[in-house]
Amino acid sequence: MTKTITKEKVFNHPIDQIWNAITKAEEISTWFLQADFKAEAGYKYTFKSTGENCSPIIGEVLEANPYKLVYTWIVKDTPATTTVTWKLENLGASTKLYLEHSGIENYAGETAIEMFNSFNGGWDNCINGLSSYLKEMVNAE
Amino acid sequence: MQSNINMLFKAIADPTRREIFHALVLTTSALSITQISTQFDMSRQGVTKHIKILNDAGLVKITEDGRNRFCFADPKPLKEVNKWMAFYSQYWDDSLDKLDDYLNTTKKA
Repeated sequence: MTKTITKEKVFNHPIDQIWNAITKAEEISTWFLQADFKAEAGYKYTFKSTGENCSPIIGEVLEANPYKLVYTWIVKDTPATTTVTWKLENLGASTKLYLEHSGIENYAGETAIEMFNSFNGGWDNCINGLSSYLKEMVNAE
Repeated sequence: MQSNINMLFKAIADPTRREIFHALVLTTSALSITQISTQFDMSRQGVTKHIKILNDAGLVKITEDGRNRFCFADPKPLKEVNKWMAFYSQYWDDSLDKLDDYLNTTKKA
């Protein structure tokens, strides 16, 4: 069975501003992860964290045409390939963003242990947002 | 289900607990609380507290043999794909919030 996450969010910003934020390396590096990225099909990108001992995210850009961006998403040294798709829709003054993350069923079985080992290197600290989420979990005890 | 996911995340949020779990995964036999406390240079109470949280998350099983308690790893909860779905779902929610913050702080000239 395929496992796909879908998210929709409306931003009160013009479509090109959001397109730049998700495709330009220096902008991705500001709000998301330290990026070696080019919005060109075939480009092998790397997303790194500033944290120590972090497993980078690597993958290949499959499609990059305004306003659709598709790339594979692999936690380095793990065998599972997933795919992330970004789509933007112009609503005039605002923009609707669709995000899809598919292939998560590939994390079944032994891969999960390797994923865990990348946590062991501090992956939770490496991923923006997650660490604060985890803190909430711990403090909620 | 949701609370199980929260307990799993709570269990792996702590680096010491990750190390204890990792040690139990690597060892082929069960380890006693005493062995773990020696290996991690930690009090028995400290180890017991961590083991309880790992046990609540289903990552560690405990057997009792007389006065000794033995712990062994059970990675099954990590293999449940729904947990990874929940993990990434939260991750993307947080990331899109960060994108929103970023867009709101950078006004186009």
